[in-house]
Amino acid sequence: MTWLRILIGSLLLALLSDATAPATELHETIDQQIRQSHPQFLAHQAALSTDTEFLRRIYLDLTGRIPTPRETLRFMQQGDTNKRVQLIDHLVKQPEHARHLQHFFDVMLMERLPKKHVTLEQWQTYLYDSCRDNVSWEQMTWDILSADGAQPATRSAARFLLDREVKPELVTRAIGRVFLGRDLQCAQCHDHPAIDDYPQRHYYGLVSFFSRAYLFNDPKSKQTSIGEKAEGTTKFTSVFTNEEATTFPRVLDLPVFTDPMPDKEPYVTKPDKNARGVPKYSRLEHLPGAITHADNRAFRLNIANRLWHFMMGRGFVEPLDMFHADNPPSHPVLLQLIADDLHEHQYDVRYLLRQLARTKVYQRSSILKTDDESIKLRYTAAHIKPLTAEQLAWSTMLATGLVDTTRQATIQAFLATKLGDGKTMPTAPMDWESLQLHLETELNKALQSQVTQFTTAFARTDGPGEFNATANQALFLANSPLISTWLRPSGNNLVSRLVAQPDSAKLAAELYLSVLSRLPDATETARIAKFVDAFPERTTTIQELVRVLLCSAEFRFNH
Amino acid sequence: MKRNLGCNPLDHVLSRRNFIVGAGTAAGFGGLLPRTWAKDAERNQKQILQVYLQGGVSQLESWDPKPGTELGGPFRAIPTSVPGIHISELLPHTAKMMHLLSIVRSINLKTDDHTQGRLFMEKGRNVGAYPYVGSVAAKYLDSRDPALPGYIHISTRGLNDDTTGFLEPQYGQFKLEGVKAPKNLDLPKDISRKRYLARTDFRAQLDQQFASRRRKSFIDALGSSFNQASKLMERKGLFEAQQDPKDLERYGTHDFARNCILGRTLLERGATCVKVTHHGYDSHAENFNFHLEQLGEFDKTFATLLGDLEDRGMLENTLVMIYSEFGRTPKINHRYGRDHWGSAWSIALGGCGIQTGGVVGKTNDKGTEVSDREVHGGHLFQTYLKAIGIDPSQNHDIPGRVIPIGDPAVEPVQELLA
Repeated sequence: MTWLRILIGSLLLALLSDATAPATELHETIDQQIRQSHPQFLAHQAALSTDTEFLRRIYLDLTGRIPTPRETLRFMQQGDTNKRVQLIDHLVKQPEHARHLQHFFDVMLMERLPKKHVTLEQWQTYLYDSCRDNVSWEQMTWDILSADGAQPATRSAARFLLDREVKPELVTRAIGRVFLGRDLQCAQCHDHPAIDDYPQRHYYGLVSFFSRAYLFNDPKSKQTSIGEKAEGTTKFTSVFTNEEATTFPRVLDLPVFTDPMPDKEPYVTKPDKNARGVPKYSRLEHLPGAITHADNRAFRLNIANRLWHFMMGRGFVEPLDMFHADNPPSHPVLLQLIADDLHEHQYDVRYLLRQLARTKVYQRSSILKTDDESIKLRYTAAHIKPLTAEQLAWSTMLATGLVDTTRQATIQAFLATKLGDGKTMPTAPMDWESLQLHLETELNKALQSQVTQFTTAFARTDGPGEFNATANQALFLANSPLISTWLRPSGNNLVSRLVAQPDSAKLAAELYLSVLSRLPDATETARIAKFVDAFPERTTTIQELVRVLLCSAEFRFNH
Repeated sequence: MKRNLGCNPLDHVLSRRNFIVGAGTAAGFGGLLPRTWAKDAERNQKQILQVYLQGGVSQLESWDPKPGTELGGPFRAIPTSVPGIHISELLPHTAKMMHLLSIVRSINLKTDDHTQGRLFMEKGRNVGAYPYVGSVAAKYLDSRDPALPGYIHISTRGLNDDTTGFLEPQYGQFKLEGVKAPKNLDLPKDISRKRYLARTDFRAQLDQQFASRRRKSFIDALGSSFNQASKLMERKGLFEAQQDPKDLERYGTHDFARNCILGRTLLERGATCVKVTHHGYDSHAENFNFHLEQLGEFDKTFATLLGDLEDRGMLENTLVMIYSEFGRTPKINHRYGRDHWGSAWSIALGGCGIQTGGVVGKTNDKGTEVSDREVHGGHLFQTYLKAIGIDPSQNHDIPGRVIPIGDPAVEPVQELLA
């Protein structure tokens, strides 16, 4: 079929070189690249996802929850050919999108470390606000790496460094992994034995930014912050060769930051037990600029790879923190291209997520067209992604009706505070957008303790990995009293609606729509009817049915 | 090694061992919830008992005493049941069992970090998402349809570790909070066993349909987790039974003693690897008082457990490891503490596959450096596996990937192997 490829290739070339053609958008380029990455791609690619498949996926990926039955029905009935694009653009503006990205950045940056010096609430509020305002990743990196914890305005962003207590081995490893895609810990004692690209000087170049920094504990306010001294060098010795070297601060092989000539009085504030040291020349101050510098390609490649993984369920480079020559990206040209495009768009996360969501790669079905092993990693079909602890919690609460009930209560509470007796107008009317933000924040607060029970059961401590299905989790889903409570018929919740539905076909439809975000087919409807009839005590049987669906793979995964 | 795709995806708990012993692979839904328990631990199944002294036990107050030296601390060394081997006087009961153990006194991990040290000791590699020794053992030693999760950790605190790396999730560590029954072991009220079986069956049907023409590994893993959950529910009695007062008298009544009694029971019931953690060795201050108290708890209890395993003939098939993430600095700080010290410390091993009654390696007179036969987590990891009959030079049984079980750059400690 070589002639066919040549033909397609020249057609594409003709398209690209046509001066009147509109500039190709990133999502089109991505599809083109992926298609060209394997000679038999077209023959093996899975069908485009159905509307309901797409809908559930995009809600989970952009808002962290499944769609409501109403949202599903509305989308199914909508005839507009452009409805997927419209929905993507709608969802990234929702408060829930900011919340979902908050969780993503939180886990990426802090890996669920327990709180030490900055409260979780402060930190999460910082992340949420940044995501809501679509603060660029470059700016967030500046915020996080420049905050010393002493200024109230930036204290929350300082958690990344403060809760690692500015310990060089902890912050160096975290910065390497989170901002550069490189786990350099092995290069602490010697050049990495197996990875040529991880020499010891890379590790100590980063350490050197921190070699004068220390955790200052203010005896009066009891508040910790980052102090810095005016002297100190970074020396390292290879345990293999005993060669000794020193280094100035430096990111990978980029230029070094040499110290200026020492000043007679090197301090703005001299460090002592009552005062946080502030030197005239700070090594640490150079860190955010060095990391985000345009010449540091690791910065853009890392975030492009991580956001691709976030949407597609698989990174070009896996593990995400193992960028090096012997572990090349699956699609090297495409990764560079996305990374450069993101850089040109000033690290606008929302822009990239919208582009990724629009690709066919993203919108393909997870049902394989072929069993050919060789092509499975080439994005011929969508990857199945386990729901994160937060996605699972919110989706379960939504399916069972808890979210709806709680939202009603927050609206009532809002009305009570704003309208008082319901007759007088509120003094400061809220615009629609602020009201939505307010209600989402209240809802999030109201259900926080429930979500925490899920994160305790489902979140792992060692960072993102494959899929962690333990017996403890299965027991939680199967038996936990928490979920049993949500299955008690109450108000207009799911079990209540199902119990009130005498027609078993309608019951099956309501159940599938609420939990699996789609309508059942005839076989599935018949199966539900049979199950309902097989046992006495209808309410209990219906509760069991909901349990079954909540425990099913179709619910547990984003597919 | 190819998976048998003909059988039910939920029963895809195929292990290398099944292929080796040629066990049948065909099974239907009947395998989901066995009504009768087959004999518990299969005869000759190799097992592991890990006693983890969390925080870093001092080698100078345990396996490598240096009495009368500048940094040796206040405690004496005492003779043991093996002529010529002396250990700290804080371990009088263990000393009597020394013929069942061997000591490694020359570990250098080149890290003083709790997490890094622990991961190196568990994974045999100082970097990368590799599985813990307990998960490796579970994968290659578990029977086809194990009665209990293959790797059980009894501990009184801490979050869950990701112990599987790239191995299937069912070999991950199952964590117990002391002797308390796992959470959510009881069916919701009003749910009869019959209903539970119907629910389980229905879920399996749905998942089978969903798995058709989709990538199976995650879906299989989810199925296995429910399968394991069912088995634990069936074995509820194991966790709820009162511990025998005679055992409590011999082991002690503190948490560690109770956890060790449960550990013994779980091994008897066929768990492949049981890890019991004894918390609280991170003695940056008051090192000596702390060790007096901590090892006071450890010593009698551990010696009793080891004795029980021997009396019951279990040591022939059970590897015993007593280990930490690192040792403690010879230097005594101004708070009479000893700090983190990964560069010259000790562990003890015993049981199946181990040449007991010996000492491997040495530290110098002050204990500040390894002076002979330096080893690290990689050498030890391969030694544990060799001892239980897993060849660490083989590759992992992971479709489509070639990953050596042990780091190919290092070898097991041959002198330790029987």
